Amino acid sequence: MASVDIVNVKKSFDRAEILRGVSVEIRDGEFVVLVGPSGCGKSTLLRMIAGLETITAGEIRIGDRTVNELAPRDRDVAMVFQNYALYPHMTVAENMAFSLKLRKTPKAEIDQRVARAAEILGLTNLLSRRPRALSGGQRQRVAMGRAIVRDPRVFLFDEPLSNLDAKLRVAMRSEIKELHQRLKTTMIYVTHDQIEAMTMADRIVVMREGNVEQIGGPLELYDTPANLFVAGFIGSPAMNMLKGTLETGARTGFAAENGSFVPLPPSAALDGLAGRRLVLGIRPEHIRIVADATEGFRVTARIVEPTGSETQVSAIADGADVIALFRERHSVRQGDELWLAPTHFHLFDAESGARVASISA
Amino acid sequence: MKKVIHEALFYLAVIVISLVVLFPFLWMLSSSFKTQTDIIAWPPKFIFDPTLQNYAKVFGEQDFLKYFINSTVVGGLAVGLSLVLGLPAAYSISRFTQKKLALFILLARLMPGISFLMPWYIIFSRLGLMDTYVALVLSHMLIALPIVVWIMSSYFNSIPVELEESAMVDGATRQYAFWAIILPMSGPGIITSVTLSFIFSWNNFMFSQVLSMEKTKTLPIAVYNFVSYAEVDWGGVMAAAVAIMAPAIVLTMIFQKFVVKGLTMGAVKG
Repeated sequence: MASVDIVNVKKSFDRAEILRGVSVEIRDGEFVVLVGPSGCGKSTLLRMIAGLETITAGEIRIGDRTVNELAPRDRDVAMVFQNYALYPHMTVAENMAFSLKLRKTPKAEIDQRVARAAEILGLTNLLSRRPRALSGGQRQRVAMGRAIVRDPRVFLFDEPLSNLDAKLRVAMRSEIKELHQRLKTTMIYVTHDQIEAMTMADRIVVMREGNVEQIGGPLELYDTPANLFVAGFIGSPAMNMLKGTLETGARTGFAAENGSFVPLPPSAALDGLAGRRLVLGIRPEHIRIVADATEGFRVTARIVEPTGSETQVSAIADGADVIALFRERHSVRQGDELWLAPTHFHLFDAESGARVASISA
Repeated sequence: MKKVIHEALFYLAVIVISLVVLFPFLWMLSSSFKTQTDIIAWPPKFIFDPTLQNYAKVFGEQDFLKYFINSTVVGGLAVGLSLVLGLPAAYSISRFTQKKLALFILLARLMPGISFLMPWYIIFSRLGLMDTYVALVLSHMLIALPIVVWIMSSYFNSIPVELEESAMVDGATRQYAFWAIILPMSGPGIITSVTLSFIFSWNNFMFSQVLSMEKTKTLPIAVYNFVSYAEVDWGGVMAAAVAIMAPAIVLTMIFQKFVVKGLTMGAVKG
């Protein structure tokens, strides 16, 4: 087990800059998820930790050792690839034993460790099969088993669940999390799926275009997103956003550019923000239905989607799309006119995108 | 009804095309069992008394066993050495995208072989290597090596790079990953390139004609033994040609099914 320090790491391919100075401190035993849209550099960063990509500038330390120049085999990390990368000509047992054989581990110990990993992952009956005779989920487990037997200092996962169907993905998510609790080894996990990030991580690193946008715990990112990008990326369905200005005169509220006026409760936190170009961010689940225009803004319901536990209403407010999520039951139908008010909202600077206030009504 | 006509036309086309393609082969095969008189008879004789005298000449009067050994040794060594040099080269071209190097190797294949012959003749004579296996093996490698490199580099392209990356993270050097992971998966590609380059060497006439004499004479050149100033012994030529073709055809038929088999299945999602 070891900590991983990423210090101002940069990566360029020819002239394209993939990482523009990324710093992350990963503590010993932590489960950190790197998340972001495709092309944000998250996989490249993971591959640099593994040693599969060179480091253009900066430093990566595993434990207290700088690994910049170390070959992958000397870093004592294990990696699970998106396509599993199982050796097709070896059985499940041979796949798992491969790394131990390379380390000249005694035969008895290899057998014992493979058997133990197989037991943890429920692969005991499949040990003599070849990868082609396994289902997607089983191959996934073998790939993890190959990592576990090594007892490495750090586990690296590169989108390991994206080739699985939705149901299996949820199950494997819990399994990996359980595995982490059991092994307590440092894990770095790359995904583009924010739900995966939220449900599994101790801490999440949100990346975009080679930069770190925010580092924090799942709820921290949800409650206090650093900027518009994080606010829009974390949470599903995504946060509603309206551009406009704040008014604090005769009536307090947000005058959006589309013409909607969102009444807001007076608050000391709003002082000094009036007149500035801002973005109002309201999560769908932080919206309630109110009686009239004095309390809320007018929308027309376009699609109503009940799932039983909650009802999602897609509506239009003066041309802008608004999505609301209600846990309580309302008799809203398509075409209905409603007035909505936020129970909790965020304000972001329209220029920089930085969050300036988060207020509960 | 329409379907029947379509099917009939289809098989008619198959038969006609097969006849055109196979006619020279069948002509050769039948001539190898004819006497010289029957061969040159006009109109051609399709029904005749088969004779084995041509084959008796090939394996009796002529020392075809020696030529057979020569061809096998030259082909085997040319293909073997091409694999030793070509597999790592193909791997490097595939993984480090050395397109220029690949093109350079292809260039050797694109240039007419005859343009190499004169320089080779001079070089090999001065080195005293005429009529040796060394000269023949090296010249045949000119074709065998590009075949190996081109087939194998595209074959390696089809193997996911994550397999070696995984092995390298698991503790292997790149060389060991190539040896222990990539090569064992490359059977179909290797068999394809071996089959094609061996058949090339087996059938090669021009290089061997110039660079070999009696000691290292290969089979295609030995066919020439039946051609003299006075006459061409067509029966002997045909019987020798059949004897030469037989191993190549058998080899192709054996390995055809291996070539088609995909071994990478199960390596990745699929």
